[in-house]
Amino acid sequence: MLIFNVGALANQLGVHRNTVTNWIKSGKLAAETTAAKKYAIEKDIFRRFCIGEHIPDEIVEKILTGAFEKPTAPKPRNLHNIPQREPIMRKKNLGSVMVVGGGIAGIQSTLDLADSGYYVYLIEKSPGIGGAMAQLDKTFPTNDCAM
Amino acid sequence: MEKCIACGLCAEKCPKKVDDEFNMGISKRKAVYIKYGQAVPLKYAIDPEQCIYLTRGKCRACEKFCPTGAINFEDKEEIVTIDVGSVILAPGFKPFDPSVYDVYGYGKIEDVVTSLDYERLLSASGPNMGHLIRPSDHQEPKKIAWLQCVGSRNNNRCDNTYCSSVCCMYAIKQALVTAEHLSGDDISQTIFFMDLRSHGKDFEGYYENAKTKGVNFVRARPHTIDPGPEGVGVSIRFTTETGETFEELFDMAVLSIGLEASGDSMALADTFGIELDMHHFAKTGSFEPVNSSRTGVFVTGAFQAPKAIPRSVAQASAAASSAATLLADARGSMTRNKEWPEPRDIRGETPAIGVFVCSCGINISNVVDVEAVAKYAATLPNVVHVENNLFTCSADTQELIAEKIKEHGLNRIVIAACTPRTHEPLFQETLKDAKLNGFMVEMANIRNQNAWVHQREPEKATQKAKDQVRMAVAKITYSSPLNQETLNVTPKALVVGGGIAGMTSALAIADQGFETLIMEKNNTLGGNALALKMSFRGEIVKPMLDGLIEKVSTHPKISVATEATLKYVSGSVGNFKSEISINGTLKQIQYGVAVMAIGGREGVPTEYHYGEDRRVMTHLEFDAQVMESIVAESEKAAAPDKGKMENPQSVVFIQCVGSREPERPYCSRICCVHSVKTAIQIKEKSPETQVFILNRDIRTYGVWEDYYQKARELGVIFIRYEVERKPVVNLEENHIAVKVTDPILQLPLDIEADYLVLASGVIPNQSRDLVEVFKCSASAEGFLNEAHPKLRPVDMSVDGLFVAGMCNYPKPIDEAIEQAKAAASRACVVLSKETMKLDAVKSFVTDKCDGCALCVDVCPYNAISLETVDSSLDLESASYAETEKCKDSVVATTLNGESHNLNGSFHRRIVTDSALCKGCGICFATCPKEGIMVHGFTMNELKAQVTAAIA
Amino acid sequence: MNDQFEPIIVGFLCNWCAYAGGDLAGVSRLQYPPNMRAVRVMCSGMVHPNLVADAFHQGADGVIVMG
Repeated sequence: MLIFNVGALANQLGVHRNTVTNWIKSGKLAAETTAAKKYAIEKDIFRRFCIGEHIPDEIVEKILTGAFEKPTAPKPRNLHNIPQREPIMRKKNLGSVMVVGGGIAGIQSTLDLADSGYYVYLIEKSPGIGGAMAQLDKTFPTNDCAM
Repeated sequence: MEKCIACGLCAEKCPKKVDDEFNMGISKRKAVYIKYGQAVPLKYAIDPEQCIYLTRGKCRACEKFCPTGAINFEDKEEIVTIDVGSVILAPGFKPFDPSVYDVYGYGKIEDVVTSLDYERLLSASGPNMGHLIRPSDHQEPKKIAWLQCVGSRNNNRCDNTYCSSVCCMYAIKQALVTAEHLSGDDISQTIFFMDLRSHGKDFEGYYENAKTKGVNFVRARPHTIDPGPEGVGVSIRFTTETGETFEELFDMAVLSIGLEASGDSMALADTFGIELDMHHFAKTGSFEPVNSSRTGVFVTGAFQAPKAIPRSVAQASAAASSAATLLADARGSMTRNKEWPEPRDIRGETPAIGVFVCSCGINISNVVDVEAVAKYAATLPNVVHVENNLFTCSADTQELIAEKIKEHGLNRIVIAACTPRTHEPLFQETLKDAKLNGFMVEMANIRNQNAWVHQREPEKATQKAKDQVRMAVAKITYSSPLNQETLNVTPKALVVGGGIAGMTSALAIADQGFETLIMEKNNTLGGNALALKMSFRGEIVKPMLDGLIEKVSTHPKISVATEATLKYVSGSVGNFKSEISINGTLKQIQYGVAVMAIGGREGVPTEYHYGEDRRVMTHLEFDAQVMESIVAESEKAAAPDKGKMENPQSVVFIQCVGSREPERPYCSRICCVHSVKTAIQIKEKSPETQVFILNRDIRTYGVWEDYYQKARELGVIFIRYEVERKPVVNLEENHIAVKVTDPILQLPLDIEADYLVLASGVIPNQSRDLVEVFKCSASAEGFLNEAHPKLRPVDMSVDGLFVAGMCNYPKPIDEAIEQAKAAASRACVVLSKETMKLDAVKSFVTDKCDGCALCVDVCPYNAISLETVDSSLDLESASYAETEKCKDSVVATTLNGESHNLNGSFHRRIVTDSALCKGCGICFATCPKEGIMVHGFTMNELKAQVTAAIA
Repeated sequence: MNDQFEPIIVGFLCNWCAYAGGDLAGVSRLQYPPNMRAVRVMCSGMVHPNLVADAFHQGADGVIVMG
């Protein structure tokens, strides 16, 4: 049995996680739900599926040996090749900052900047801020409530 | 999104149940959901991957039931372009997924959970509402095991060779909190660990406390977890240090999973074109710990390296500081402040109260009979207008409220709706727009604390709502307008201490445009860094330090006072005044904020024959005398001119000298890395030298773990000793004899060493004087305390004071710089405002105060002091509202006062500093004669509320 | 004490914890008896002993200070 979560597998196969979800939903990838956000599939069925999808053997083997949960590092991309908007040459700096991530660190950066006269765009991918800390019950070493 | 009132009807009606990822999939949520009860923003969202309509094109049940029409299925993803001056990346981490290890059985054995699963099991807002039960049979587990380093310090089936830094402490916390959840004598918690890393402030005491509370610590790495008998519980096999193998049954096993970089954050790094390190965390340098490889892009939190909350928060402030420094000339260019019309003077008006009862769609009205409540409200004294609204918080109702205020000359408003904690600011603004003082509104919480919690008792709920409205009306009748005092801010900073932390802070503050004075007690800047050769990452300290001193000395906004001491401090945040002595000359200074960066120093050992023999040294001495020679030797082997020193044959390090001892019960955090790093250098330059590190635990936290691994690869020998059986050192003529018992061989070893290096702990520089003049606080060991150990790691308990560097806790250079920049960021929050608007809820002294001073000692913020005042001036300090209420008695006092003055007599009374006061009212509860009260919560207001509650 | 006994309880709730907890109970739809009347205070340390005595004097059956 291969146990996987959608995100990690998608990452490994180089597809969007929705794609994997859709495969599972459509029955194309005959995996079954197991524990939290996890799916299980017979290894042989998975192999056949991969052949159908023309997924390189080495990636399939890597996935099947279980060493895939760690997504591979992105290839360092040459900065000059990044399609960019023409940089706007300004004489003056812009007084605004974008903060990516609404966990405790992102929130703190945002508050500091907003409180000292900068406009801040806080970007969070989920519907609420708080990040991992919001999931914690208590915090050490004072056993204060994390919330 | 604006329309959503978070009533939750959509989620109630949604037919699709999915695993709740917030509760780690242990419970279910709907496809339309809020992340968690206290979510910000508190708005329901549709999960597009789960929604039946969005995936299969049918349903839209939520849309039908939404009372405000907040659901819009036509909404499309939108690409927006924003122009910003700088970017801070804080995408966080991904919890390690342990299902790659079949030996632990996660996902197969029900009673094996991850630490994050367990965190939800413990949480009062979790799937079992804080009732700890194991997954298999829903019984209370009595005997629980924690397995450390799952997905950390390991490259088997994962590539996480680093230490995740937080798991030891959270496992101890979970073990301790577990004991609070369970009852009975037969409960036990066992933590299986390799090295116990309690390397933060107050962590060691927490660990020791856990031991005394009966948490078992077993130094072993269990290799297999099997299901327990009949499929419940687990069976754990492990081998102890002595080589014995055990198999033990537990009710539950918790895998202390590590932190790793997520694919998303790697993609983010790719998008921004910034470099990652070998562990896929953002690459930074020790001297610029929040700068990514791309100018203007800063990184913070677990994206940079695994770390606990306080360092994430400090780093976040540091990133804010760096971004702000970069954009200093554009500060305020994109923000705007709202202006309000002058409020109408309502003194002398009789109370005219308007009551607005909200139906909240059907959220309130389907339980509470809102019309009956409205009808009842109209009968209450002073109520001149009552209205029932579908949504009192909607924009058109705000206009309506303003209209009614004008129409009926209302001067007090009661809103019977949801909670003031989320909605009071909205109604305060409405009042201010309608030329009323914002504090003339009181809310009766008939939704969250009534309709929602008494759904099955509508009659009693309606009665309660009436009572709540009556209480609010009673209170607001006695309320008077409150003023938010404004204070001018002295836009200058004082930095105490001229080491790396102090100079970095000063530079960051000055670069943001504020004048800064650095006070250094010695005659040169530099502090401990003067004695350091290189950072843990290997960057050479001297050029950085020279550059920093140069910048600080030549900065037009920084002045430096050496041989300076602080004599006296008065005032509070925004306006401190001090007298300092510079080289014996006294000088008066004024400043708005101060940063404490007085540092710490290497302790002087008293054990292991230190001081009796030149071959026994501390780290810094060894670095200066031997390391220099070893490094120079091999680099310039061809130039053996000056006093050549033979490379030593054997060097022994002893860890925890003067740390983790009864007199200094803390871990000094940096000594393990320092020893390991030094050992590597010795081995690299002179491989034949034998190096031993005698330790109690090796605490190479975070990415420093790589050094521990490298040292072992190079042949450095690590031998653990028990604190009861410390190494014994004898000085011989040709060598130093070190005797230590090896716990694995269980044999005593004799080592002949050329040098003995004592990893002496860090002790804080004397902070007593500062604590005295600033009335701030320090730990028993003398480290200056932060205001909150997690959330306010660089603020001090006294507003306007900030702390950075080793005077707060031992730390390496990169962390000191982070903290220094964080302190600067926090300081600039204060300095960037010309005036500070204080909270209106503050204590105030009434004419009944007779100066008994009972309140002075109970004030946690030192905001109250005793003064002898001229009685005739009493009127000045009481608020005009309060004065009015007590008009008669005040007049009497004034007359009295004058007569006293004629006789030349004064009386004693207390004064409060509103900049320091937080409005907690402990003084009010302490005062036997209502001599001090809190605005908005006066005795009259509260008594009226209590009376109305019972009537 | 008979079954019909409906005590009047005056609750002093700290704005930052107990009152927030009361709100959260609402968001979570936890049901509890409607006998308490909450007085919001900025800190439970603010509750003057006289207020408690006053509540009893006026006929409260119980006073709960939460913070």
